[in-house]
Amino acid sequence: MATTMQMESGPATRARPAEAAIVVQGLTKTYPGGIEAVKGIDFVVQPGEVFGLLGPNGAGKSTTIGMLTTTVRPTAGSASLVGHDVSRAPLAARAVSSVVFQDAVVDRGLTGRRNLEIHAQLWRVPPREATPRIEEIAAALGVDELLDRPVASYSGGQRRRLEIARALVSHPRVLFLDEPTVGLDPRIRAELLDVIAGLRARFEMTILLTTHYLDEADRLCDRIAVMHRGEIVANDSPEALRGRFGAELVELRIDGDGAEALASLRAEGLADDDAFAVGATVTIPLRDRAAADVIARIQGLGMATHAVTTRRPTLDDVYLRLTGGSLAGEHA
Amino acid sequence: MSAITPEIALRQPAVARSPFSPLATLARRRFQLTASRPRELLVPLVTPILFALVIAPALKTALHTSVSYEAFVATGTIGLLIPLNTMFSGLSVIVDRQAGAQRELLSAPIPRPLLPLGNLLVALATTAFQIAVLLGVAEARRIHFHITAGGIGWFLAASLFFAVGMYGLAEVLAARVPKAEEYIARVPAVAIVPWFLAGSLFSIKAMPVGLTWIARFLPLTHGLALVRYGLLNDPTALHDIWGMHSPTAMAGLSLLIVAAFAALLTRAATRVFSHAAIQ
Repeated sequence: MATTMQMESGPATRARPAEAAIVVQGLTKTYPGGIEAVKGIDFVVQPGEVFGLLGPNGAGKSTTIGMLTTTVRPTAGSASLVGHDVSRAPLAARAVSSVVFQDAVVDRGLTGRRNLEIHAQLWRVPPREATPRIEEIAAALGVDELLDRPVASYSGGQRRRLEIARALVSHPRVLFLDEPTVGLDPRIRAELLDVIAGLRARFEMTILLTTHYLDEADRLCDRIAVMHRGEIVANDSPEALRGRFGAELVELRIDGDGAEALASLRAEGLADDDAFAVGATVTIPLRDRAAADVIARIQGLGMATHAVTTRRPTLDDVYLRLTGGSLAGEHA
Repeated sequence: MSAITPEIALRQPAVARSPFSPLATLARRRFQLTASRPRELLVPLVTPILFALVIAPALKTALHTSVSYEAFVATGTIGLLIPLNTMFSGLSVIVDRQAGAQRELLSAPIPRPLLPLGNLLVALATTAFQIAVLLGVAEARRIHFHITAGGIGWFLAASLFFAVGMYGLAEVLAARVPKAEEYIARVPAVAIVPWFLAGSLFSIKAMPVGLTWIARFLPLTHGLALVRYGLLNDPTALHDIWGMHSPTAMAGLSLLIVAAFAALLTRAATRVFSHAAIQ
């Protein structure tokens, strides 16, 4: 169940600004065998913005990043980084960007310093600038004391911070963070979110972040595009996305099939089109209705429920409404 | 470890320096990775040295052949050393792809064919080192060569072109094969079987006619014939291939074949690598 909720005022439909950091127009990727990984997506990211691509595995996030970083060839459409078309001027596009990959992409046999030096050299940072810049960035990311150790001896969190430091050595105009906190323990993850939030707060650097984690997107991103089955089904600020459900919603945990219960509630006029069911849980945005009235009417129907609660909408609700499935359920 | 406090002043990317600097960076990186695992340099040496120093003298005694047979086999083992070392170097491409920094290098603002070319430079350097060790050990074992200035030229050119071609083959194979285990399983067919057919231990004319003709089409046969012409001043292997009277003409023709092999495989390697790197 995918529902398109493109905001009319969303950036994808605005006039293309000349100074945009990332411009994506009709970007499409069809793999051999006819698998449509990305289906004509559009979005614009402004300089200094943190833009989140949210969605489960298979939604098309990694393929989109691949096209923007020139490792996946688009089937149709175009994309540019700071005005450099990724298909026509891939070297220029790569020169203004850096990537932090989801998996470990690092030379484990070399020291952390050497990994950073190689990045500096390939991105043509002048040698006299590279050394102090490496020291400065390593200190900022908390890996300065590890720099002369082989990366093979780093913990997962240390290696991840080194990879972020490496991406910053070339002073990218656009930074791609592909699932930057996957596989990290909660403490390291919280530290890394601080790092990313700090970068976003202090510097005129555009960040495109992909993530499974809704809390991560909510905390870091100015704008979020929800991808589902190769399409962008929503593109707005976290606040605006949450605001689609009003200020409050009712959540029912029922005995039996949630979809059947939802149909009954709709028939009784208790649920609108924006209500949704996932498993045995039915979620009903209240809009301007009173929670007590709605709950009383539901109980009057004699529906077998485990629990009835009211709460504020979250991005999870937006995601579930748009994609019809939970993130955790689609990871495999 | 210090606390995480992002205070980094970001500036514009710098302008380009020498166009060769990325290649030097890539080659230096590959060399450092290779040097961090010395067994990668040493393991390919074991078999050829065993052939040159143990098996060849044993064969000489068993078959009652001449003293020069040891030199014949010592030079023949170069034809085993080059394929083994270049194939092992190709294995590092798969390691890079699966657990190394290949994707970081692919996202760098450099032409992607530089990546296999950087690897090639290091594969050539390590191969040169191993050949030098092999010849040095052979000399120490009192296996004598007949070296002239011209002969050195034929030897170096043949070894260089053949090593370049074999490394290209290794890159192509590494791009086509997803796992290291599958790659290793293919190494004997690529590196060892041709060696037995190419006149390494005996003249190609000692084989049945059909195999002799197959051997004439193997770049390794031409490479070995040139190495023997260069290091032993012996054009017999060239004559076995071409049947002509002029050693220089035959050497020129064989060198042309080995050079074409190198050019073709290098071109294929850069194309296949670039193609495989982009989905």
